[in-house]
Amino acid sequence: MTKRVFMLPLWIRLWHWSNALAIIVLSVTGISLHFSDPGLPLVEFSLAARIHNIAGVCLAVLYAGFVIGNIVSGNWWQYVPKSPGVIQRCLRQMQFYGSGIFKGEAEPFPPTPEVNFNALQAVTYWSIMYLVMPVVILSGLVFLYPQFAPATLFGLDGLLPVALVHYLGAAVILLFMVSHIYLGTMGPKVSSLFKMMFTGWYEH
Amino acid sequence: MRGAMALLALLAAPLAFGDDPPPTPEELVKIRAANAECLSCHSEAGLKKPPKEGMDLKKLRSSLVHLDTFTASDHGQMACTKCHGDGYAEHPHAADAKDEMAECQDCHARKAMRIERQFDKSVHAENLSDTFTCKTCHNAHTMALASKLRDPHKIVAQDNKICLDCHDSDLAFAKMAPDKKKRPPIDDIHDWLPNTRLHWKAVRCVECHTPTEDKLSLSHEIQNKDKAEKKCATCHSANSSLNARLYRHLQAEEQNKYGFLNSVMLSSAYVVGATRNPTLDKALIALFIATVLGVIGHGIVRIITTRLRRSKNHD
Repeated sequence: MTKRVFMLPLWIRLWHWSNALAIIVLSVTGISLHFSDPGLPLVEFSLAARIHNIAGVCLAVLYAGFVIGNIVSGNWWQYVPKSPGVIQRCLRQMQFYGSGIFKGEAEPFPPTPEVNFNALQAVTYWSIMYLVMPVVILSGLVFLYPQFAPATLFGLDGLLPVALVHYLGAAVILLFMVSHIYLGTMGPKVSSLFKMMFTGWYEH
Repeated sequence: MRGAMALLALLAAPLAFGDDPPPTPEELVKIRAANAECLSCHSEAGLKKPPKEGMDLKKLRSSLVHLDTFTASDHGQMACTKCHGDGYAEHPHAADAKDEMAECQDCHARKAMRIERQFDKSVHAENLSDTFTCKTCHNAHTMALASKLRDPHKIVAQDNKICLDCHDSDLAFAKMAPDKKKRPPIDDIHDWLPNTRLHWKAVRCVECHTPTEDKLSLSHEIQNKDKAEKKCATCHSANSSLNARLYRHLQAEEQNKYGFLNSVMLSSAYVVGATRNPTLDKALIALFIATVLGVIGHGIVRIITTRLRRSKNHD
């Protein structure tokens, strides 16, 4: 008999999927811009530039909503890895992904309404959302308003470090996204966690 | 006919003064002294305090030369009379002095021939062939060759000012344009171009408004919006045409600095799509492929082990 427990309020689910859409759009257009090639256009450059700008501003607004929502609702606490034993629990989680799951072991730290994330999730989500995302968004805003970038730095154009930070941060988010989507299949059923992200209910 | 005339001019010309060796230090002292006499009237200081009485100050105001700008320009080591003729050597100037004025092609015959062929195809020749001359754009008292300026910001500022002086001013535009031709607002017609004003600070109008097929030199065939380059990737790509254009004079001294493609541009601009680091790109692409393959591999092992377990349980 499946049990149902309500896990995610509507605002988190709405934020999650609009954020996901913005990041996918930004990835495709960002790749088009960075690897721009007249013979091999993924999205035509000026179109990609416009879409990237609009989606980037949307992402920044969504991020502000995410931060405010987390403060108001108290949801920020979910992202804090709870000591003691954070490292041990992370290692236990990795061991599950690396071997336990192949042996049919049960998820060591299944989500509950009180603790949504296992330790590895908390550490990763916290780093992505509170370290990498602000860096990518801020560097993106400087790209949008390049007059705020330093004119030169060590004899090179001041936009270069901004561009490099933006590129590296975006790459980390893209790598995170690939793993995040795959780890979404690690629920009781392959579809359980995706279903939860839409309905808010965790079935197990 | 025109070609034959130009050829005649080339043969008749005492082979391009444009290629003359620079004056010796002694000659230069003489030239500077003679020019100083001209500038005693034809300068801001001369206008304020005319050395002679009864001069036409209104006329003088329209023929002032800034000494420092002139000295730094391509013609800065030449005597005023070289172009203006001996009629201007004394004051009051000879009545027919104006007729003695030299034309650009008197010295730049070879260049003029090449340029004229390009110019004849330009939008300026199409609409203004009677009034448009070298001097319309090129001020012989101020201009410096891009190869001399070197700094892309300086080249851009000098060259774009030429275009914008007319195309961003209703007054100047009306003076040249055919009757009833209204000046299109420069920002509006470029609003398709992201970061428009930033582009104008970083690159020249002619980067897009001349044929980009010619990779060796910048053409004088100025093109209007129908023909001008609109493909961003022409500049924004690994094989950026800016290399052969704005940055061609810096090519020799800087290649692949810090492993960046088109690193010569990095000293003055970060050009998305052009100034990238292939090593970093490859590392990140490899990391991405490794992640995707890792995820797929993990998934496959999961499917196989789940099936094996199921068939074991059935046994």
